[in-house]
Amino acid sequence: MKIKIQEWSVYSVGDHALVFALEAKMDVAILQKIKQLNEFIVAKKINGILDIIPSYHTLTVVYDMIHFLSDHNEASDPLIIFSTTLLNEFEKNSLVPKKETTQYIVPVCYDLLFALDLEKMSEVKSISTEEIIKIHCSTIYDVYSIGFVPGFTYMGMVNEKIQMARHQKPRNQVAAGSVGIAGLQTGIYPINCPGGWQIIGKTPWKIFDTHPNKLAKFKVGDQVQFFPISKKEFDDLNEYK
Amino acid sequence: MSIQIIHKGMSDSIQDMGRYGFQHLGIQPNGCMDILSALLANTILQNDIKAPVIELHFPSSEIKFLEETIICITGGNFIPVINEKSVELNTPILVQKNEVLSMLQPMKGKITYIAIKSNYNEEMWLNSNAYYGKRFEKDQIITYATQLNNPSEMFTTLHSMLNPTLLKKVQDFVFMDAPIRILPGPAWQDLANHSITQLLNDPFAITSQSNRMGFQLVGPSLALNIANHYLSSAVTRGTLQLLPSGEIIVLMADHQTIGGYANLGQIILVDLPRFAQMKTGQPFKFVLTNLETAQTLYREMYASFKY
Repeated sequence: MKIKIQEWSVYSVGDHALVFALEAKMDVAILQKIKQLNEFIVAKKINGILDIIPSYHTLTVVYDMIHFLSDHNEASDPLIIFSTTLLNEFEKNSLVPKKETTQYIVPVCYDLLFALDLEKMSEVKSISTEEIIKIHCSTIYDVYSIGFVPGFTYMGMVNEKIQMARHQKPRNQVAAGSVGIAGLQTGIYPINCPGGWQIIGKTPWKIFDTHPNKLAKFKVGDQVQFFPISKKEFDDLNEYK
Repeated sequence: MSIQIIHKGMSDSIQDMGRYGFQHLGIQPNGCMDILSALLANTILQNDIKAPVIELHFPSSEIKFLEETIICITGGNFIPVINEKSVELNTPILVQKNEVLSMLQPMKGKITYIAIKSNYNEEMWLNSNAYYGKRFEKDQIITYATQLNNPSEMFTTLHSMLNPTLLKKVQDFVFMDAPIRILPGPAWQDLANHSITQLLNDPFAITSQSNRMGFQLVGPSLALNIANHYLSSAVTRGTLQLLPSGEIIVLMADHQTIGGYANLGQIILVDLPRFAQMKTGQPFKFVLTNLETAQTLYREMYASFKY
């Protein structure tokens, strides 16, 4: 099924997921709407919903076919009725004050010990490393998506002057906490894993922890600003010790 | 009651119905690859239907039972033997203290499940017992909470409760030789016309580049009318992702939560156990179905269990 309701497209992906999509672009106004619809659906605590996953311009609702809409099974188009009613309610509800955005100031050490690609970027972009750091720390980034590995944080938009495509061949291992750039996005690696982003620093913060009360530090819609710290400060703050 | 892994298999783990509710943090759902065979094993033992089970791939782990107990083996047939004596699938088996279960050869299917008539007693993580990346290690001990009072009597009771109709239904379905049913995904419309024809008419096969995260396929090389680069959005179990090489990877139980490659379509959920059990290199075809059929088939199949 695929329907249009105002600026939303609603369609099924497979037989157990429903997607609410806006225009396919990385845009903060679109992200805000996705975040609000996410909060709206979460608060409704609908029976049979397994996961609600926001990412850029889409919100995906994964459901259990046995329990979701079990009271609408007789309707000829239960998913259409469900999404139409939901979006109408959401649009009415959009006058209610929004939850505040959570903001983080994230310490990053740009020491060349961690910043594997900083010198190369400085060369390619003809900007000093100091200037790259200054630019990277002067933007408040929005979290557009979480994934790839648990807690990997995709943020934008990176200033045009320091945008750089990811490596053609990914590294076999990037250290947990590494901060990288890929085109107009900046991100943080939560665990040691393979990765192709241009690494320009490392945060001493653990941004993913398996403790059930911790898990991922950031969620989609949060805001992040980076703050440069020295190697000494990194060692003092290091949560990976 | 406890068991010990005396020889470590290639990729064996404890799995259950999956870990949902955390995909927005990038945490994969995990769970059994062939859920139907796992449900069948628990049904035969009159366990909680969603109880954790042992998932074995081949070469498989060897398991020693440290107390007398009752088990049930379902799914693929790897020629199971207990202390070198062959045992049957899909039926309760009485196991004596210190007996060892081994798998000799992958005759049929790719995954075997073992349910144990006892309550699994290891700590959950995020509401699920499914292993998260972890695999069995040599000498690992796994504990179960209940010791059976009278295993022989229990064995007789379970035997008398066997439901041959359900057994046949699940077996016939999981190992049915028929096309794998799919629904078109958001990037279907971006496929070149000849690629749609190939996807629906040419044979594919699962390659050895396959694990619990995804199965890579060999088949016709498919092309898009646009660049294979999308804003990442959530992917689900059974998603057919088109790689830049033109090959398809099908996302399985340990799939990552979001993806930026073309999302061509989804294998319908009821057919995923069939797909998971398909042998490497065995040719198969995809066929389109519709949402209503997919959901009806799923509900019908799961209605067979006390789900």
